[in-house]
Amino acid sequence: MTIVSDSPVHSSSSDDFASFLDAELATSTSDSSADEEGDEEENLESKRVKRRKVEVLEILEDVQDSTARVETSKEEAICAHPGSFGGMCIICGQRVAEEAGVAIAYIHKGLRLDSPELVRLRNADMKNKLNQKKLHLILDLDHTLLNSTMLFHMTSEEDYLKSNADSLQDIQNGSLFMLEHMRMMTKLRPYVRQFLKEANEMFEMHIYTMGDKPYAREMAKLLDPGDQYFNDRIISRDDGTQKHQKGLDVVLAEESAVLILDDTENAWTKHRENLILMERYHFFASSCQQFGFRCKSLSLLKSDESDTDGALASVLRVLKRVHSMYFDEDPRDAPSNRDVREFLKSVRKEILQGCRIVFSRVFPTSFPPESHQLWKMAEQLGATCLVEVDSSVTHVVANDPNTEKSKWATNETKYLVHPQWIEATYYLWQRQVEDKYPVNQSKSQ
Amino acid sequence: MFFHITLERNMQLHPRHFGRNLKENLVTKLMKDVEGTCSGRHGFVVAITGIENVGKGLIRDGTGFVTFPVKYQCVVFRPFKGQILEAVVTMVNKMGFFAEAGPVQIFVSNHLIPDDMEFQSGDMPNYTTSDGSVKIQKDSEVRLKLIGTRVDATEIFCIGTIKDDFLGVINDPTTS
Repeated sequence: MTIVSDSPVHSSSSDDFASFLDAELATSTSDSSADEEGDEEENLESKRVKRRKVEVLEILEDVQDSTARVETSKEEAICAHPGSFGGMCIICGQRVAEEAGVAIAYIHKGLRLDSPELVRLRNADMKNKLNQKKLHLILDLDHTLLNSTMLFHMTSEEDYLKSNADSLQDIQNGSLFMLEHMRMMTKLRPYVRQFLKEANEMFEMHIYTMGDKPYAREMAKLLDPGDQYFNDRIISRDDGTQKHQKGLDVVLAEESAVLILDDTENAWTKHRENLILMERYHFFASSCQQFGFRCKSLSLLKSDESDTDGALASVLRVLKRVHSMYFDEDPRDAPSNRDVREFLKSVRKEILQGCRIVFSRVFPTSFPPESHQLWKMAEQLGATCLVEVDSSVTHVVANDPNTEKSKWATNETKYLVHPQWIEATYYLWQRQVEDKYPVNQSKSQ
Repeated sequence: MFFHITLERNMQLHPRHFGRNLKENLVTKLMKDVEGTCSGRHGFVVAITGIENVGKGLIRDGTGFVTFPVKYQCVVFRPFKGQILEAVVTMVNKMGFFAEAGPVQIFVSNHLIPDDMEFQSGDMPNYTTSDGSVKIQKDSEVRLKLIGTRVDATEIFCIGTIKDDFLGVINDPTTS
């Protein structure tokens, strides 16, 4: 008796039910065949063999005709083993080396895919996204979309928050949550719900956090109670390939179509050009302390970031801009040539276009000014940075209003601004009003 | 496939359980230890149906524990390569879909989904034929064929296909 033995991936092993049964039955039926039935059996055998041959020929033709992506032949499976699940190839079921390929564990435990398969998936995804007019957006959690604190880190002045927490039965309308089972409180950044709703129409969104998996899942439930935005695209720190670094190698999207929103630049050293750096959201006192700020946190000041004017709203404007630039290109232009990184750079370069900036006593004298963070920020924003003043200079950036260059600026009615003007412009993606960043006589700190 | 087999196990019992209820305690402990576990050879033990025989207890030297060899009958579930199985879809994504049949996790890669089914992303990701007549989404029931199995200490992983005849969606959750 044979069960389906004509499948292209036939091979007998102890897994095979047919051979298992054969083995079990062979021990008990050895004495039941009689001579009279011998001829009939022979006929049956030959018929069966003929039938099997015919079936085998049919399969050969099928395989040759079909445009199956799996290459198989009758004798053996020439399978490329593009991925594995639980140590078995996803196409032919054979055992493969455990560590081959990249672990895509956030989708399901035990799933691994190797490079050609990842490339194929990314290409297929790209075509899909171009049809839907969507790009990819990777979101960090902590200090970008929300701020969490452990309960035992909270100060006594923050106790009022515990009684003001929003109900967990109505997550959609809340922003401050008490999570008893995780012993923490979480505050969502203002405007985050509107942001996610609008971004969802232009982007397929992913969460990528340095928190662990249970934390990531809980936060996803708070941000996305209807499970519309993220599905299974929640990457936590255990899913990354490198410690302390985030990478796009586990993301199933083309690098030229991914934008990243994160508050930490160092986590994305390999993908700086895709990154939109966000201003950190410090709500709880422990968060300020963690970064060494001695200022009062928003919870102690009993205030919050502006809803419509805050970081998320500005970033949303930028995202809309880049998205429309990407999809409004000339349709004759090959889509594969468009790179979201180029568009991001050009949007940034427009912000301070035309400005010529000189820095005064902002950098230490021995330090090469071109490598200073502020210089680089200003250049990325489209400004030209100079070392010496001349008549074309438009801005002087200084800490002290009594330096030569500062006095020159006041005399020539050029803008004299605090370095924070450059930083604010960088984070808010909008040229800030210079008058809001005056250089005052600073008290010694 | 389900099997009803006899297995044997050495159970260690603490002296506090000795007394009138020795046998009951032994049986309870056996059930707690064995039901729901997996072994490479037998598969997943679903339920113990009866105790065939409890052997003589052997006192372990140095401790007060006593070891009883217990023969029991149980229903086991062991998937086989080549087996046809019905499963419920738990997750659908662009790489294929994941389905569950009891404790067994099955992955069907999109290479092994018929070519006329395309992946549609969105709120409820699914695979649909070009005319929309057949849809595979979360909670659909599908009939699939296993092409590889692996039994772990606690879980069973399988690779499946629906590319052959008579395989595919049995029940659409939206209609029933």
